[in-house]
Amino acid sequence: MGEEGFNLLKKMATYDKRWVYLVLFILVLAPLVRPIGMPIAVSELTRNYYNQIMKLKEGDIVLDSWDMEYSGYMELKPGVLASHKLFIQKGVKLAITLNHPEGIAIVPVVLEELKPIMEEYDYKEGEDYIILGYVFPNEASVVAAASDFHAAIKYDWKGRSIEGTFLDRIHDGGDFALISDYTTGVMSGAIIRHFVLRFGVPMIQNCIGVSVPGALANLDARLLTAVLASSRGGAELEYLIKQPGPGLMMMDAFTLGHYMLIIFIVIGNIGYFGWARKAKVRERTAV
Amino acid sequence: MDLLSFTSTVVGIFISFCMYTTLYGKGNPLRSWAEFSYIACGTTMSVMMAYTYIKKTAIMPLITPPFTIEALAWIVAIILGLMMWFRVHPTYSYISRVPIAFTVGIGMGYSIRTVIFTGFLKQISGTIVKLWTAEGGWSYLITRLTIVVCVITMLSFFLYTTEIKGPHVWSATVGEYAMYIAFGVVFAQTFMGRLGLFVGYMQQCMYPVWKQPYTLGSAILVFLILLILDKTGWAERLSAT
Repeated sequence: MGEEGFNLLKKMATYDKRWVYLVLFILVLAPLVRPIGMPIAVSELTRNYYNQIMKLKEGDIVLDSWDMEYSGYMELKPGVLASHKLFIQKGVKLAITLNHPEGIAIVPVVLEELKPIMEEYDYKEGEDYIILGYVFPNEASVVAAASDFHAAIKYDWKGRSIEGTFLDRIHDGGDFALISDYTTGVMSGAIIRHFVLRFGVPMIQNCIGVSVPGALANLDARLLTAVLASSRGGAELEYLIKQPGPGLMMMDAFTLGHYMLIIFIVIGNIGYFGWARKAKVRERTAV
Repeated sequence: MDLLSFTSTVVGIFISFCMYTTLYGKGNPLRSWAEFSYIACGTTMSVMMAYTYIKKTAIMPLITPPFTIEALAWIVAIILGLMMWFRVHPTYSYISRVPIAFTVGIGMGYSIRTVIFTGFLKQISGTIVKLWTAEGGWSYLITRLTIVVCVITMLSFFLYTTEIKGPHVWSATVGEYAMYIAFGVVFAQTFMGRLGLFVGYMQQCMYPVWKQPYTLGSAILVFLILLILDKTGWAERLSAT
């Protein structure tokens, strides 16, 4: 009996880690195939983010910084889509910058998702939004755009001149009403340093989970005006604006994944204290 | 949906699962194929985007009217950029040091003068705030007090130039435990972030609904191929990494 108990604890301490991956795969795929619809609550952070967008007036120009790779977009997708739905509904003008070469692959995916609402509000490229393309490859390019926007950026992503568009109202970084940043941390630091610090332009940020603690420190330091935390924040924003999207669907898988992690942490700790730690003592004392 | 979009989506799903075989813990040809394909595509995309950026930013202002004096500055930039190519030549690679020095100098100049504010002074001033506000109430007070206590105790943990004794021991210990809590928070956020990437991508693979058979089929097919390769011993033999 004692030997069996001993073996169970050993199993808990030394099980093959590939079981974790397999269970995670199943727990993620199952709720995506058949969503459960677990409840979520809207945090104060997300309400603040929403309020900052709602402060914008029709015709305001927003620097829309897509500071992410394609993989990062997978996590930020709910926030990107929900925020842009709000921008379109408010009639805000968007100057979209892609800060990573992979950003070019994100554009068609996002435009496809936003197509219905763009058609509903007659939101058109060139008139309401301009995709500037990959214009912030390094810090110098961010400084140049902040100092003299039209000297640094003359063409959109398809090589069309931006003269004669709503961007004529932008001379330097201070002319933007807001900076909306979706970031995995590519160029957002430089944007904070040269747009926010220099001109005091309010900046809101939807960041990946890893960057949330850092973003909250910047929020405290008033370098950021609002933070939307990862997919979770995006899901809350979808819930808040009553437009369910990918975020709310992801939350089931998120919740199950987090429960799974907690269970594996508990199993690992029981295994550690029940077997691995004693094994070390046995080894040390040669018993 | 046209044939090209359909094919690229299905191949994309399959190659993703090939990449996930890295979790199996053993090298295999599926992972090698996926890895090299990704490197090739990523490099090509970066090169093309850099080329487009240089063309739009530096070359087009020089060849498109109206011509301006300011645009001539791009000639210097283009020359510096061309000098960078000497890096590939063993004899003349020293020439590339000039543009590198130029870039590093400008980058450092731009960032250091501002990082002092964003990374240091603003963060400190963000910590030194009122502990009590009427609208914030008790929860605000508790939050602020927590920040104050954690900052002071953590800083005391990092005082190396004095012997730790007396109240300093308590302060440093509290700071140490506060850091453990912070590490826990960062770990949890990291897990949430990584899970977010995975869930988001799986969602991309599962919707629209027509993708689901291809996604589940790819998962099963890749898993079976991997098992067969592993059991027959071909997995590591055919792996390139």
